[in-house]
Amino acid sequence: MADIIVPGETVAKAGGRPVGNTYREGDSMRSAVVGLYKEGDDRIIPLQGPYLPAIGDFVIGVVQDVRFTSYTMNINSPYNGSLSSKATRDELKLGDIISAVVAAIDESKNITLEEPRRLIGGEIVSISSVKVPRVIGKKNSMVNMIIDSTKSEVQVGRNGRIWIKGGNSALAAMAILKIETEAHTSGLTDRINAFLKAEMEKNNKV
Amino acid sequence: MMGGKTDRKLIVNGKRLDGRGLDDMRPLTIEAHVLNKADGSAYVEWGKNKVLAAVYGPRECVPRHDSDPYRAVVRCRYSMAPFCSLEEHGRAGPNRRAIELSKVIREAFQNVVITELFPKTAIDIFIEILQSDGGTRCAGLVAASVALADAGIPMRDLVSAISVGKADGQIVVDLFKDEDNFGESDVPIAFAHRNNDILLFQMDGKLTKDEVKTALEKAKNAAVKIHALQVEALKKVYERQAQQNVQ
Repeated sequence: MADIIVPGETVAKAGGRPVGNTYREGDSMRSAVVGLYKEGDDRIIPLQGPYLPAIGDFVIGVVQDVRFTSYTMNINSPYNGSLSSKATRDELKLGDIISAVVAAIDESKNITLEEPRRLIGGEIVSISSVKVPRVIGKKNSMVNMIIDSTKSEVQVGRNGRIWIKGGNSALAAMAILKIETEAHTSGLTDRINAFLKAEMEKNNKV
Repeated sequence: MMGGKTDRKLIVNGKRLDGRGLDDMRPLTIEAHVLNKADGSAYVEWGKNKVLAAVYGPRECVPRHDSDPYRAVVRCRYSMAPFCSLEEHGRAGPNRRAIELSKVIREAFQNVVITELFPKTAIDIFIEILQSDGGTRCAGLVAASVALADAGIPMRDLVSAISVGKADGQIVVDLFKDEDNFGESDVPIAFAHRNNDILLFQMDGKLTKDEVKTALEKAKNAAVKIHALQVEALKKVYERQAQQNVQ
């Protein structure tokens, strides 16, 4: 089991293999965040933190501003995304929920989005973006498990917004929130599986 | 605040007025992640001090002309509640003292937060003193440091702060209000744990060079203990969650 480490703790010697979420000082690499780390890992898994977009990220955004040739999107990050109105045939309105892919980020953190799709209906569950890999699971195992048992449509944005529509959406949302609070524990997939089964059985009885 | 006069002895038989030895700290408890809506938060009880710290950000910097294209700006508001001490503090809101403390605390954190990662943004720190009994700027720093780490903001180190000073001619650690008011000197110091860098150093009253050296050593020893409690508070958040899951 990985240990919880705090900012300033030494994780490795400088010059060794680089470790993510660290900084280098003198002859040591030190953690910059509160996170999980096991000796030999290639990065510290943060337990909290803001969402910083990366190229290729699938995100779920909200239209924050409609401008003449583009839309400003809130993507749950310190920086807003911008979506060219050429990229979509629809006319978007303020407050529309859009899924998109991060196409480019420049040095002053202007974020260009592409491949917009309007998400109509459904609901959004917001979680911390650092827990998203756990919601997706290895090769989508976790999210597929949720989809299989709840029959909901689920879109997981890398920015911590998860869109759920149809099926047993309440159960899907509960499972996702459970994953968020237990993300740093092991044996999570089994526990969520058991949780989904138990809840489904409860529903069947009623 | 120095300059008060009293006939009372501050140290009797090597014990201070509240029964502590010269190097003893008041009991300190730290709890991280106490506010739901803040990105990071912490609550500190240090003797009779009660301090709440909240951190928001990195977020869009408003007003825009305050932002920096190369790094995040760190902003801090230290604020004392009007009901926080025995004396009248008058109207709520910033006064000369609060503005100064906000500035020195902000500058302490500008040296540890890795601001280059978030250009154009702002990181806001709010420190509310709910009850005060001397040494609130140190309590505020300790709380804000835990809150920043709890927000997941990349930083080089945790900040531990402690006040040392002189009362009845002796160097004492962690002054409470009476020692602060009627003692001879009060020196709040903040350290970065990893290399004992001094991030804040203020002095009220007078100390000789040798006294400063002793005070600094005593502060360093105390800061190590504070750091341990800060780490424990941060780890406890996740242990607490793990425990809830078992139930």
